[in-house]
Amino acid sequence: MSTMLSVTNLTHRFGQTEVLTDVNLDVEEGEFLTFLGPSGCGKTTTLRAIAGFLTPSEGRVMLDGEDVTALPPYRRPVNMVFQQSTLFPHLDVGENIAFGLRVAKVPRAERHTRMLEALELVRLGGFERRRTTELSGGQRQRVNLARAIINRPKVLLLDEPLSALDLKIRLEMEVELRRLHRELGSTFVYVTHDQREALALSDRIAVFNHGEVVQCDTAEAIYREPESQFAASFVGDANVFEITVNSADDHAVTTDDGLRLPVTGHAGASGPHWLVVRPEDVRFEPAGGTLEAVIIDAAFRGSSLTYRAECASLRTTVKAEIPDDLEASPVDSIVTMTWSADRARLLVRD
Amino acid sequence: MEQQRPNRLTGFITLCALVFLFAPLVVVVLFSFHSTNALTPPFEGFSLRWYDEVLSDRTIREALLTSLKIASLTSLATLLCGTAAAYGITRTQARVRGLYASLFVIPIAMPALILGVALRSFYVDRGISLSTTTVVIAHTVFVIPLFYVVAQTALGRIEVAQLEAAADLGAPPWYRFRRVILPEVLPVLLAGAAMAFVISFDEFIVTFFVIGNDSTLPMVIFSRLRRVIDPSINAISSLLLFLNLTIWLIALLYSLRVQRRRRLDQLAQKEDVL
Repeated sequence: MSTMLSVTNLTHRFGQTEVLTDVNLDVEEGEFLTFLGPSGCGKTTTLRAIAGFLTPSEGRVMLDGEDVTALPPYRRPVNMVFQQSTLFPHLDVGENIAFGLRVAKVPRAERHTRMLEALELVRLGGFERRRTTELSGGQRQRVNLARAIINRPKVLLLDEPLSALDLKIRLEMEVELRRLHRELGSTFVYVTHDQREALALSDRIAVFNHGEVVQCDTAEAIYREPESQFAASFVGDANVFEITVNSADDHAVTTDDGLRLPVTGHAGASGPHWLVVRPEDVRFEPAGGTLEAVIIDAAFRGSSLTYRAECASLRTTVKAEIPDDLEASPVDSIVTMTWSADRARLLVRD
Repeated sequence: MEQQRPNRLTGFITLCALVFLFAPLVVVVLFSFHSTNALTPPFEGFSLRWYDEVLSDRTIREALLTSLKIASLTSLATLLCGTAAAYGITRTQARVRGLYASLFVIPIAMPALILGVALRSFYVDRGISLSTTTVVIAHTVFVIPLFYVVAQTALGRIEVAQLEAAADLGAPPWYRFRRVILPEVLPVLLAGAAMAFVISFDEFIVTFFVIGNDSTLPMVIFSRLRRVIDPSINAISSLLLFLNLTIWLIALLYSLRVQRRRRLDQLAQKEDVL
């Protein structure tokens, strides 16, 4: 595997405001990388710098070993699918899809064959003579996809392509995107603010916040071993406890209030920390321990129950997801919370 | 909306208004076919003699050609300059766009008389000899604000994301303009150019100030009116009316067709949402 796309020291300013600060990313050939973050975190700006819609104030964009930082969008071998459909209204579906090939002066016969192939690939066989206005939102986004992949881009850029669609169609399209990525084997860079989408689709996720990449790793690593309080709370649901560690051994830390909280491998830690525990790792035991909590809400989720419990000693509300086959704890009952030490994660708090 | 039943009074007023609007036109056209040289009733029989006289008159034929030439060139110059201006302004930074746009639109408020006088003194001062070229320039200056408003509206409707998509698919700027923008706005631009043609063809005041030895059709009509009054004037007027109506009608039908297509598209999109 070689590096297909590499972004180095990317910094961008709009006037006085710095919107990107020293972003560094490498994308392997055939990889599905997702930029995840809240709005205004710089993920779209980075994508636009890769596509060529903006020239970064500092830094470089390398595509398959070639420096493309100064090239206009129409000279870059990448293609983009936008958040809203950008089909050309005066062209039919087939003409829209073949647009890039027509610009590139690909002979008519080849254009036609490849257009039909692309249509098949997005499961819209037989739609080539339709007007774009006859399509549903989901179909339109499929045509946008076909119009991008027909050019065999070195990297396919996707800027929140599903966010304008209904939930049901969005879930279908996720399956389609995974299938397309498998079948094409090409490099995808995907932008989203939806952490569920990011976890479901990506090989790796780059978590953005305030114009910086705070963590770039596999979905599982980010979920299990978040390196910051932001990554922990943005990716998946998490309980993030603000604690001050007094003493610590290999199995637990003791806070300055004398609470003993299970966490593995932080012997010698002290000072302000975050303790991250995923809701599905929280277990309830009969009342009587140090981490007593009152159940204030319980919601049935099919295979599990989601609880909110008020924990006086941690001075916060804790979220817990308990498998359905365990005995339910009614609202107002008192439980003791615990979790496996190796599932908790301790992060330094500055 | 509640529809009011017409009563006698409103019916009468409407009829009066319509007669007031169209009677002169009808009279002008009718008497252009008059067999005698009387311009007022009674009508004493049909003849095409005035058309024959007008169309065989060299002064009128030359004036007609001059007018057609000026109107065509004005229409073309307006189309090119107006489109370039409107396109350029839609692509500029939002902060200065409003300023530029108003600079192009404000001349609408300028009276033709002032424009005529100003341009004439400019030409004379610069030693530019007056000719049909100076008329074309003057007419273009005169109609460009109107054309600009039309073109700006059409160009403003094109989404930036669509142009970005085209660029992303490999289209350089000129290709984007020709294959993405132009197909969208061409009907509107052509309707604007037709408007420019008709305005230029009818224009009298500005022309009067900046023309040299040539004469346009409106000027010939005017000078003839001062000498003789016979149905030949009616014949010229009828021909002008016919020409104008034809151009307006073509432009109207064309824009109606475009509007209908756009409405259908919108309908299709609405159904899609439901």
